[in-house]
Amino acid sequence: MFPGFEQIDGVSSSPDLSLVQTALYASGIFALLMMVLTFFAVLSLPIFFGTVFALEALLKLANNVPDPVGKLSKIFGLVFRSLRRNVVRTSLTYVALFVLTGMLSTIYSGVDLIDKITQEKEDNVQVIMTERFGAPSMMPRSYANRLKGILKELPPEAQPRNIDDDFMVWSFVGATLDLNKRTQENALFMLALEPDAIRTMLSYQGLSKDDMSEEAYAELMQSIDAMKKDKRNVIIGPERLELMGKQVGDSVKAYALGYKDVTYDFKIVGSFPAEVSRWSKSALMRLDYFNDTLDGAKTFSGAEVRPVNLIWVRMPNKAAYEALATVVNEPKSFSAPQAKMETASAAIGSFLEGLKSIVFAFKYIIMPAIAVIMCLVVGITITIGVRERRSEMAVMKVLGFLPWQVMGIIIAEAVLIGVMGGLLSTWLVYFAPKSIEAFKAFTGLKFKILFFDKISAPILITVYGPLLGTFVGLIGSALPAISSRKVKVSEVFAQVT
Amino acid sequence: MPLVEVRDLYKSFTRGSETIEVLMDLTLDVEAGEFLALMGPSGSGKTTLLNLLAGLDTPTSGTITVGGERISDYSESELARWRTRNVGFVFQFYNLLPVLTAYENVELPLLLLPLTGAQRRKQVENAMGLVGLSDRMTHRPGQLSGGQCQRVGIARAIVTDPTIIVADEPTGALDSASADAALKLLDILRSELGKTILMVTHDPHAAERAQRIVQLEKGRLAHQNLTLTH
Ligand SMILES: Nc1ncnc2c1ncn2[C@@H]1O[C@H](COP(=O)(O)OP(=O)(O)OP(=O)(O)O)[C@@H](O)[C@H]1O
Ligand SMILES: [Mg+2]
Repeated sequence: MFPGFEQIDGVSSSPDLSLVQTALYASGIFALLMMVLTFFAVLSLPIFFGTVFALEALLKLANNVPDPVGKLSKIFGLVFRSLRRNVVRTSLTYVALFVLTGMLSTIYSGVDLIDKITQEKEDNVQVIMTERFGAPSMMPRSYANRLKGILKELPPEAQPRNIDDDFMVWSFVGATLDLNKRTQENALFMLALEPDAIRTMLSYQGLSKDDMSEEAYAELMQSIDAMKKDKRNVIIGPERLELMGKQVGDSVKAYALGYKDVTYDFKIVGSFPAEVSRWSKSALMRLDYFNDTLDGAKTFSGAEVRPVNLIWVRMPNKAAYEALATVVNEPKSFSAPQAKMETASAAIGSFLEGLKSIVFAFKYIIMPAIAVIMCLVVGITITIGVRERRSEMAVMKVLGFLPWQVMGIIIAEAVLIGVMGGLLSTWLVYFAPKSIEAFKAFTGLKFKILFFDKISAPILITVYGPLLGTFVGLIGSALPAISSRKVKVSEVFAQVT
Repeated sequence: MPLVEVRDLYKSFTRGSETIEVLMDLTLDVEAGEFLALMGPSGSGKTTLLNLLAGLDTPTSGTITVGGERISDYSESELARWRTRNVGFVFQFYNLLPVLTAYENVELPLLLLPLTGAQRRKQVENAMGLVGLSDRMTHRPGQLSGGQCQRVGIARAIVTDPTIIVADEPTGALDSASADAALKLLDILRSELGKTILMVTHDPHAAERAQRIVQLEKGRLAHQNLTLTH
């Protein structure tokens, strides 16, 4: 077994949180969110009533405008009167709608975010092909070309976007500096790669831009560029260099282990950053040099040589990976030895699957449930209001108002509360974190309020909120409005008198 | 030709499988400018008859013609439009909208008519003046006494200048002084404005104001031309 194989193979970015923890965490956030939203809903009550008053005042101005505007404004004025009639009930309804819309828009933002993340993860599926039964995995060089051939036959949308960047052949090479003294100090274990693939590989193996300082990264890039200049050039980790007693710039002669009579003349052109310990004992060489030396060593002619340990491919999405895996996993595609294809990180895959079912539950169960609750809240309030005003509505009908006019007043009342609740709530969720950030930037103050800076809602919710309010108002008031239509004027008075 | 002509009127209500015959074989004429009182025991069908005459309900059979219009054939929305122009309502419990001021309550039926804002204002002011409440325009019903509320109710009934005013026990909830004032108003509406008044009442005092009393018994006319001392 090659040392370091495990380390490199395992794309060890398994998630920190289990699904259970995530669910608990989410419930906690929910409870907190509800409290915060209720707090803000109550705080925003003056804004709500202020707006209602302002609208009413505006409508009053319109009273003197020539008809039909003036007349309609007077009839519509009744809506505001009824809202003001029972301030407590109106407030409670508004607060409920505010909180529910706030929950809905926060969940929507979260779902939107998770959707994007899973999409991203699914958009770039790293897959690796290895030998099915052998450990360590050893495959003939011809497998690389055969796999490339298979990839070319996939439908265009399932092919890797850029085959040079998205396709890597990995060979692990063991060597010693002294054939007669195979000690730890003399050992050199290398990964052979095409120079163009190095950057891609490193970005997935703990040596991306984010893993180190800017200077270290620049230096690493220089080393990679240097490697491209000559096939003998290698990069060796700092700890290994020290064990070998060598430094960057030195030349080194090494003898391959496992391949008789294969020797290498390396030139050390760079090292890995000391701050990333994962690579401090490893080394990189060029695949073409490795292959050339194999070809040069005639010893193996006729014998089956299997120097390829794994082939790495980045597929555009999960469906493409699945299409590829089906072909590769057929025994006839790769028969001697058989090969298997898997995603580089099964852990991430299953975590995302779990996350997806949570998102599904939120999207298709919890969000609709909240919307239904909102409709019920409006429905109950308006039903009570209609009950209370049955005889008033009857009077209006007696005076000659048509059923749809009476109904319109009721629906308008519900829609008005709905729109205001939806608008103020989503605007708060959208604008409050932004204005806090703006305030911080403007004053230069540094502070943190709960998890506010983490909320980044899509701008669309500022439109969806009021729309949802309208919708909820319409649905919620539908039943009571219809029942108001059925108020028979004669019945009401037959009972009263 | 009488203003109101009722011919062979039947009205029944069905409640579940049960059918209640409320008005039976009723024929009645009311002249224009007449003040008519409808009397009779509770449950005899007074309110039912008044509702039919005022276009709030339609008969089971028979016809009602008012001013040449066969309202018994009208649809619900036709009746609504007809009511706005032709009938003023006065209720026992006033039935003012509590959220509106006296002025706005009186203006309410005018919103359904093609009038300008200025015309509306003039008509509301006239009606409020007629009932003697010009100084209470901005009060809400909650801030007015029962008698004042009923006068606002009468103002609302008269504001559209209807031909008929119907009143169901208009004095039922008032003390005798307020009741007198309200009745006096109705009388003035008849004598000075020529309105036809149809009033349901249990109160003989109120009925005294009427020119003619119609007595209902179990859905049939018992006496047509009863007049108390007048
Ligand atoms: N909408 C209705 N549905 C069923 N029955 C009704 C309806 N309206 C009236 N009735 C019935 O018709 C009968 C007459 O009712 P109405 O209200 O006309 O009586 P009324 O003479 O006005 O009595 P009161 O003096 O008590 O007001 C009653 O038995 C009543 O129960
Ligand atoms: Mg009655």
